[in-house]
Amino acid sequence: MNRVWLALTSVLFLLLLALSPWAVALRAFGGKGVLVTLWGTVDLYGRAKALPDVSWLGYFTAFWVALALIAAVAAFLPEMRTRARVYYALGLLGVAVFALEAYLFYHAVWTVNDAAMAAGARRPPLKRYSLSLGAYVTVLYSLFLLAVGRLQLPGGRALLVRWRGVIVPAVSMLLAMVAGAAVVWLLKDVKLPEGGGTLTYLAAKLDLVTYTFQLLFGPLLTASGWFQSLLIATPLIFTGLAVAFGFKAGLFNIGAPGQLTIGAIMTMLVGVHLANAHWFAGLPDGVARAIFLPLSILAAAAGGALWGAIPGWLKARFGAHEVINTIMMNYIAASIFLFMIAANEYTFFGKWTLHMPFKFPGYEARSYEVAESARIPLMVNLFGFQQDTSGAWTGALSWSLPLALVAMVAAYVLLARLELGKRLLAALGAGVLGYFVGGFLPGIPMELSPKLASVRLNGAFVIAAFAVAFYNYYMWRTRDGYELRAVGLAPKAAEYGGVSIAKKTILAMAISGALAGLAATHYVLGGGIDEYRLKQSLPTNVGFDGIAVALLGQNTPIGVFLSALLFGVLLTGGLQLDLQLGISRELVMMLQALIVLFIAAGGFLPRYFTDPILAAQAEEGVQGVI
Amino acid sequence: MSLESLFTAAFLVPLLQTTLRSTTTLLLTALGGMFSERSGVVNIALEGMIIFGALTAAVSAQLMEAPYLAENPGARVWWIPWVAVLLAMVVGAFIGWIHAVVSIKYKADQIISGTAINLLAAGLPSLVLAYFYDNTTASKELVNRLPEWLGFSPLVYLAFALVPITWYVMFKTPWGLRLRSVGEHPEAADTMGINVFRTRYTAVILSGVLAGLAGAFLSIGVLNQFVRNMSAGQGFIALAALIFGKWHPIGVLGATLLFGFAKALAIQLGGGDIMPPTVIEAFPFIITMLVLAGFVGTSRPPKAIGKPYEK
Repeated sequence: MNRVWLALTSVLFLLLLALSPWAVALRAFGGKGVLVTLWGTVDLYGRAKALPDVSWLGYFTAFWVALALIAAVAAFLPEMRTRARVYYALGLLGVAVFALEAYLFYHAVWTVNDAAMAAGARRPPLKRYSLSLGAYVTVLYSLFLLAVGRLQLPGGRALLVRWRGVIVPAVSMLLAMVAGAAVVWLLKDVKLPEGGGTLTYLAAKLDLVTYTFQLLFGPLLTASGWFQSLLIATPLIFTGLAVAFGFKAGLFNIGAPGQLTIGAIMTMLVGVHLANAHWFAGLPDGVARAIFLPLSILAAAAGGALWGAIPGWLKARFGAHEVINTIMMNYIAASIFLFMIAANEYTFFGKWTLHMPFKFPGYEARSYEVAESARIPLMVNLFGFQQDTSGAWTGALSWSLPLALVAMVAAYVLLARLELGKRLLAALGAGVLGYFVGGFLPGIPMELSPKLASVRLNGAFVIAAFAVAFYNYYMWRTRDGYELRAVGLAPKAAEYGGVSIAKKTILAMAISGALAGLAATHYVLGGGIDEYRLKQSLPTNVGFDGIAVALLGQNTPIGVFLSALLFGVLLTGGLQLDLQLGISRELVMMLQALIVLFIAAGGFLPRYFTDPILAAQAEEGVQGVI
Repeated sequence: MSLESLFTAAFLVPLLQTTLRSTTTLLLTALGGMFSERSGVVNIALEGMIIFGALTAAVSAQLMEAPYLAENPGARVWWIPWVAVLLAMVVGAFIGWIHAVVSIKYKADQIISGTAINLLAAGLPSLVLAYFYDNTTASKELVNRLPEWLGFSPLVYLAFALVPITWYVMFKTPWGLRLRSVGEHPEAADTMGINVFRTRYTAVILSGVLAGLAGAFLSIGVLNQFVRNMSAGQGFIALAALIFGKWHPIGVLGATLLFGFAKALAIQLGGGDIMPPTVIEAFPFIITMLVLAGFVGTSRPPKAIGKPYEK
């Protein structure tokens, strides 16, 4: 680790520690807080009655200054291992002291609240208190010192390079957050109390920025926040997989919005018009469900596959670049979409009239409702809960899904000696068995909180999970997937090896499109847009979000899943951001764009992080590379 | 509207005018894109650059005229739209510079870098609009738009005048030769003492300037405000026109006229009952795809396009 970088980081750390609010004792609606800083209290709220006693904060400040100084000086120690030991010790000490500070702060807050309650207050005076940027930087700096310690030891840099698949996205994410913070800083004013000077202004701005990100990551702290994030992540998983699938085969599929749209139209045709057709009216419920639910899901995939295969074919046959064609097809799909559901009667050349049965009567552009038999149940239903007449969600927590999951994993692990295809089939069978056996077991009776039950997370999430598994299996465990990756990495070599690039291009675009099309199951069959219909408000933009998801997840199955979840969290938090601070949710879109930009630039990290060949040399410790 | 009414002057004259107007945006953008692509940098960010140019022109013109309007509603100040156009070009240049840094210096995949800028152009404008106007979809309507000379905005004349100018610059000046050599064979150009990086930077920034100009034309030439997503894919169509026009100014002129005509037809037929508007709106995009499929085989891109140069 370069000494200059270490010194700069230490200075930045001390600067942030000095200027930022260290904690927020009380936060009112609208974001106004009572800030605890190292140099005093800043009351932006203006009506704080009681404050926690943080007189001990000065001692800790002295500790952190000393820590940073020792860290800077330790860089000059001659012996490598001594340096490493010093940094490990400093980092661990820092984490421990941070924990102590956090405990003391919360203890101080609780003391004030308990005292007020004992004195007869109706509600505690301090609410929505939290640590803030000043405290966060201390723990971040400690972790940084631990990393520095590891880097002093042999193989430290090789370790970084080996983890570049995680480090590049993480650094890009961090940079995007800094840029997002700058935008919030510029575009959002703060109101200062009377007589507030520059220090107050800086603290208020830093608090605003910190609170912005606290809100964005806020859903991680509650159960309903998690479920809401999973709900928003579901379509992102599909589109992220679609884009990742294309990338792996050397194709850039920007057409996920169009593929999603056509998938939605197809699933609407099957789920609404086929399933409601009068000649199926006599079918028993169970049979109808067994036919139309899978059929509707397949229709979504088929629609997307068709819309993806066309640009694939155009590329294979004519060499037309898939990027422009997929973009054009997004616009065309949008036109078809409106054509289908905006009106039922169209006149051509003033003479011929076309009648169509797809638009539901009324002002709004939307389709008819999906038949009961083609609807994907909500997760709360799958877990065995029903809404009773009073509106409460009661039932018994069913063992079906947990048991199915356990059975699947158990079968997969235990049957390690089988061939992979059979092993997966067996696992799948065990899962189905587990599901039905679980259904017969007596569940745990309980009532869901209304907040949790109001989240309309539906079974499409399960389909998304299977899509992730499919991507992993197909791309890394089958011959087709191997050939696709070969085409993506080195088309000429793959062709020489007997792979038909034209066929693979069409295949890859079709599967990629099918994955994007499956996102429609969430929106149309799962009621993802509030109703079980196709509506004009179908958020096709998630197709573009998929690009960010795929890049942040580095095109790996687990990476795509996690980054979709991350964006789900951010978008969920974005609602609160709008509500509390009046900052538009578009901030999240901007963060996504910046993440894509920064990842494309390799996180602005040295080349040996991003270039596989230089990275391999760096791992072997070739001289002159680093 | 009957089929016969399509062949009357009342329909054809406005159609011709609209064609010239819708060609202007595409032409300015495509000519800009030509510099970038001829130097070897794919510029899919044209779409985003148009949007940023349009946003800058509309918002800056509105802010500049506000004090004058406070004194006299309807005040015309001649320099305001021109300064706004200039600012749009500056912002376009800045976005071009970002694309250049990421794709030339950091050797990013140029298509991904461009897509990132397009995504940024989809998100950032609403934040800016919310800051100035408490509205995330459109800016305030302004009074001081670009003037019209003989029925057309000056930028229309400029766009068509730029065709011979770019041709001259690209094929008759030493700088044009260097630009093309950098896009065809950067190693050879480097050996001859041409600064590959600097040439590419200039070219990409220039494409940003022209795309910004096209955006300004949209927001304060055609309309009098910025509307979200107002470029509606024209940056991408311009890119297709570039391929169809074989990266040559004259070819690009022909291609953009074709696409401009398709768009004008869509606009002119929009109100009538000849075709449903939703069908008509898809026309330019379908034509773009057909043209790409039919002509791309005969169109040879600059050899080094899309490849970062490794010194």
